[in-house]
Amino acid sequence: MSDIEAVTAAEGATGRTPEPGPAAESRRDKPRSLAGDAWIDLRRNKIFWAAAVLVAVLVLMAAVPGVFGAGDPRDCALSRQHAGPSGSAFFGYDFQGCDVYARTIYGARNSILIGLFATLTSGIIALIFGLSAGYFGGWLDALLSRFIDIVLGLPFLLAAIVLARRLSSDPNDSGIWAVTVTLGFLGWTTAARVMRSSVIASKNQDYVAAARMLGAGPARLMMRHIVPNSVAAFIVVLTILLGVNIATEATLSFLGVGLKGDAISWGIMINESSPYVRTAAAPLVWPSVFLALTVLAFIMLGDAVRDAFDPKLR
Amino acid sequence: MFRYIVRRLLQMVLTFFGATFIVYALMFANQTDPIQALAGERPITDSQRQVLTERYHLDEPFIKQYWYYMKALLTGDFGTSLTNRKIADMLEQAWPVTLRLAILAIVIASTVAILAGVISGIRRGGAFDNVTLLVTLVMLALPIVVLAPLAQLVFGIQLGWFPPTAGGDASLYELLLPALVLGSLVVATELRVTRSSVAENLRADYVRTARAKGLTGKRVIGVHVLRNSLIPVITLIGVDIGNLMSGAIVTEGVFNIPGVGFNLFRGINTEDGPLVVGFVSVLVIVFLVVNLIVDLLYAALDPRIRYE
Amino acid sequence: MVGKRPWKVAAGAAAIVLIAAGCGSGSDDSEASANSVTIGIAEPQHLIPANTTESNGSQVLGSLFYPLVKFNEQKQPVETAAESITSDDNKVWTVKLKPGFTFSNGEPVVADNYIDAWNHGAYGPNGNDASYFFERIQGYADLQSKDPDGEDGPQKAPEPKAKTMTGLKKVDDTTFTITLSAPFAGWKSVIGYTAFYPLPKAAFASPGVLKEDFEQAPIGNGPFKMRGKWEHDQQLVVDKVEGFKGQVPKVDSITWKIYQDPSAQYLDLVDNRIDVQTLIPIESLGKAAGDLGDRMQKSPNSNFAFVGFPTYQKEFSDPDVRRALSMAINRKEMTDQIFLGAQTPATSFVSPVVSGYRPDSCKEYCTYNPTKAKELYTKAKGPAEIKITYNVDGGHKPWVDAMCNQIKASLGVNCTGQGEPKFADLLTKVKAHEPVGLIRLGWIMDYPLMENYLGPLYSTTGSSNYYGYSNTAFDNLVKQGSEAATPEAAIQKWQQAEDILAKDMPVIPLRFGQNVYGFSDRVTGVTVDLFAKADIYKIEVKQN
Repeated sequence: MSDIEAVTAAEGATGRTPEPGPAAESRRDKPRSLAGDAWIDLRRNKIFWAAAVLVAVLVLMAAVPGVFGAGDPRDCALSRQHAGPSGSAFFGYDFQGCDVYARTIYGARNSILIGLFATLTSGIIALIFGLSAGYFGGWLDALLSRFIDIVLGLPFLLAAIVLARRLSSDPNDSGIWAVTVTLGFLGWTTAARVMRSSVIASKNQDYVAAARMLGAGPARLMMRHIVPNSVAAFIVVLTILLGVNIATEATLSFLGVGLKGDAISWGIMINESSPYVRTAAAPLVWPSVFLALTVLAFIMLGDAVRDAFDPKLR
Repeated sequence: MFRYIVRRLLQMVLTFFGATFIVYALMFANQTDPIQALAGERPITDSQRQVLTERYHLDEPFIKQYWYYMKALLTGDFGTSLTNRKIADMLEQAWPVTLRLAILAIVIASTVAILAGVISGIRRGGAFDNVTLLVTLVMLALPIVVLAPLAQLVFGIQLGWFPPTAGGDASLYELLLPALVLGSLVVATELRVTRSSVAENLRADYVRTARAKGLTGKRVIGVHVLRNSLIPVITLIGVDIGNLMSGAIVTEGVFNIPGVGFNLFRGINTEDGPLVVGFVSVLVIVFLVVNLIVDLLYAALDPRIRYE
Repeated sequence: MVGKRPWKVAAGAAAIVLIAAGCGSGSDDSEASANSVTIGIAEPQHLIPANTTESNGSQVLGSLFYPLVKFNEQKQPVETAAESITSDDNKVWTVKLKPGFTFSNGEPVVADNYIDAWNHGAYGPNGNDASYFFERIQGYADLQSKDPDGEDGPQKAPEPKAKTMTGLKKVDDTTFTITLSAPFAGWKSVIGYTAFYPLPKAAFASPGVLKEDFEQAPIGNGPFKMRGKWEHDQQLVVDKVEGFKGQVPKVDSITWKIYQDPSAQYLDLVDNRIDVQTLIPIESLGKAAGDLGDRMQKSPNSNFAFVGFPTYQKEFSDPDVRRALSMAINRKEMTDQIFLGAQTPATSFVSPVVSGYRPDSCKEYCTYNPTKAKELYTKAKGPAEIKITYNVDGGHKPWVDAMCNQIKASLGVNCTGQGEPKFADLLTKVKAHEPVGLIRLGWIMDYPLMENYLGPLYSTTGSSNYYGYSNTAFDNLVKQGSEAATPEAAIQKWQQAEDILAKDMPVIPLRFGQNVYGFSDRVTGVTVDLFAKADIYKIEVKQN
């Protein structure tokens, strides 16, 4: 375990609790925040750069689909049903005779936007709930936890239908924000509970008591000490939530309360092509691959960020 | 500890009422035309509409409808669904098989996830870790609507290892394939959280101490690391149990298991308020009990956590 | 050690939960006698004849009850439980029952059984789904009452004036008369429907009140009787009645196995775990030929798929716009590619399964002609945006999208499909006069008469006339046909009515349905009729 050895060596040198690695030692004269240290570690992490590149490509796909050389995703003809690749339709044609490559590229925008923003929304809500419930304990914890229990018990289906109906009254918009809000407001419970459990475990640690004795108030304690130590599992759950949200958007469309009209997304593509997978697998495989790549990118990113921020590694 | 449990049980009662109110309100908000929803596409005559409206108090204000429902509930009467079946009977029929399926699924899933997660956490970046990452991605990218029928086809029919459908009275063996499929939904998250937890804890001081003391790797991991890594995982497992029970709609449909998920789906589609509230009430209680057990387990795993 | 107690509590609780999980009853196979078959259905909604309008309930009841008439190859009614059904003026009908029939509980079948059952069915406050079948009988209106301030008002509807219809009169134990409020030549075809089954005296707790749990184990006058009770969401088992006086089925018992999902049923069929599936789902059709070989067959049914033009949307008011849209659609491509031959293109307004059907009543407007369509459309200044609203839970997205693509290609306009979660939601929007565009609709016939495709869908008071089409000449022709002296004269009038439809084009006919059904290796003689019901008399287990 190279980390252990490095830490032991550092400990031997100073005789105290482990300190930042050898490279950072030389910069110890300048007081550095956790974020600053984290960025230095991130910069050196190959996985971080690989993930960042992947994310950049996906964001590009979402922002300017035109540069990827795809045809018209809405030019469909039944006569081309399940035809093989031809021209710029590298992935062939689906059940309706639409260009799978074009739909995958153009579908990235809806899927990635929804995945990203819904997860962000859930993350913020979960952070607030989990942190407050875990840190303050007592009646606040009871209130928040029981509320979480109720939200957990609600059938996702029901809440999604009601929310989606209330939010999408304008028939002309594609419904993307309604879907994002619906997923965001319903997906935070697991992350909140995980956050709460990590906070409960962290708040009894010695360094928290030490910081409190040094006069740190609750806000400082929470932001500087507890959150960085409890955030590991939380980030893992969020990165997977991203993939789940993209797929769940498909379920909403399947029920008639998702994206409206002729909107395209990976989830919709997967849903449409899954009944016919025994006849033609390509229209299902390609959006699944892209979905998997997106999740992979964020998992790698999440891992790298978490490793960089984790004080236990210093 | 005892007082804590009693306090939680009291909270449960309040939560139960809160939950039923919220769900009833949601169902009410969802209702456009429950009578037509029940009839599907057939036209309904006026007199029929009248009868059903009056029988189920559908023309009365929300509070009154809720009041009728709670009054009946407190005497143990879960009411009648819009299809004229006693909801208590439907509950009695659906819950046992869903419980069996969900528990089987979670036991398999958590065992696999924790074992694989621990190994991945120990050997981060190794071959095993990358393979599990790949498998995780595949499972995430293949939604259940694809995975379930595919598994049914391959393992049920082509290979014939399992019967392709289970039923209401399914034996444990018949439930095995649906349980595996259902479990795949949650393995990914549990595995990765275990992995990250284990990796994190392996760098802790006490691990160094334990090794320095000369304990074997197995004991270090099995007794010390595991215990400290399990807290977030146990949380997840608790939440997942409930989710599997209410969310197994696709799996239940594909394998023909008339359980809770299917009934909920039907109830929501037919805008059947009493039916949905009946099932959700029991579901909320399940979550409450499971989360109580999980919270107690925190105290068991980490002695620094105390409850008064 | 401090941590011991929480461990014990947690472990104890977890153990209880796991033990509960382990207790699982193994599946007990109902002893399948060699001469029994298993037929797949979905969960029926009701099993009271007058309250049953969907095919699952009708299937099960078809095994427990014996109908007054059945339909032959020419779709003509043939007396079955009745010895004769005659009328001199098409208004007063005399029904003579075949003697010697009994219910499965021993009660003899008498005229009162029919009269009591029909009165109960027609009585408004009983809220029976199929109550409208009794509409034509004199006195029906007195059994209904109207809520004075509408559904949502606090006042309750008053009791109806009567509990029995004046048009039903018992003559003797095996004869009764039905007087209609207006002559109707096709009445004999109507009373073949499920709603007209008799009910035994044992079904009633008191006059006019059915026993609460009669539905759970109905007692009928048919070739089978219930074994045990209706096991909801699982199955119903029926055994043959010894000494049945009517046509005796070839099998001794039927298990009606209930499935939530037709794809699960399909896989069980492929695996030979059930014997018949009456409707193979579209997703499985692609592979069905390979999976089943000649265990798969097709037969026509009465399904009719179409889209309606809401009359409140002015952009569709020019009939040329509607005709153009109809010609822009390539029905054959849709039935071939999307439905894989499970449906046939519709070129008329009534189904091929009824007498009086003419294959070209829609003339050239139902034939695919993109050039003429575009010409007509531009001349008539049709809208640049077309919307088609449908209900997602019916699995309609694929073909609506395909139809939109065809319209786009033929007319050069933009077209989008708008999914609503349920049909009820769609209806709400239509009733609220929202701009839904074309409305996706479907129809299954109640009885095999041409009139059933005309009246309910297009007459001004038609129960399924959601789009608001109204044409007095059409209404009159339908009425004249119903009052005609002979079925042939009726058909003539009805065909004239259909010609008006071809001119006005209130809807675009799209497809007629077929039963695509499959059966297992161990059975033969499997057919599925117009009502998507498997024939329980002809099916038999292969002897070898």
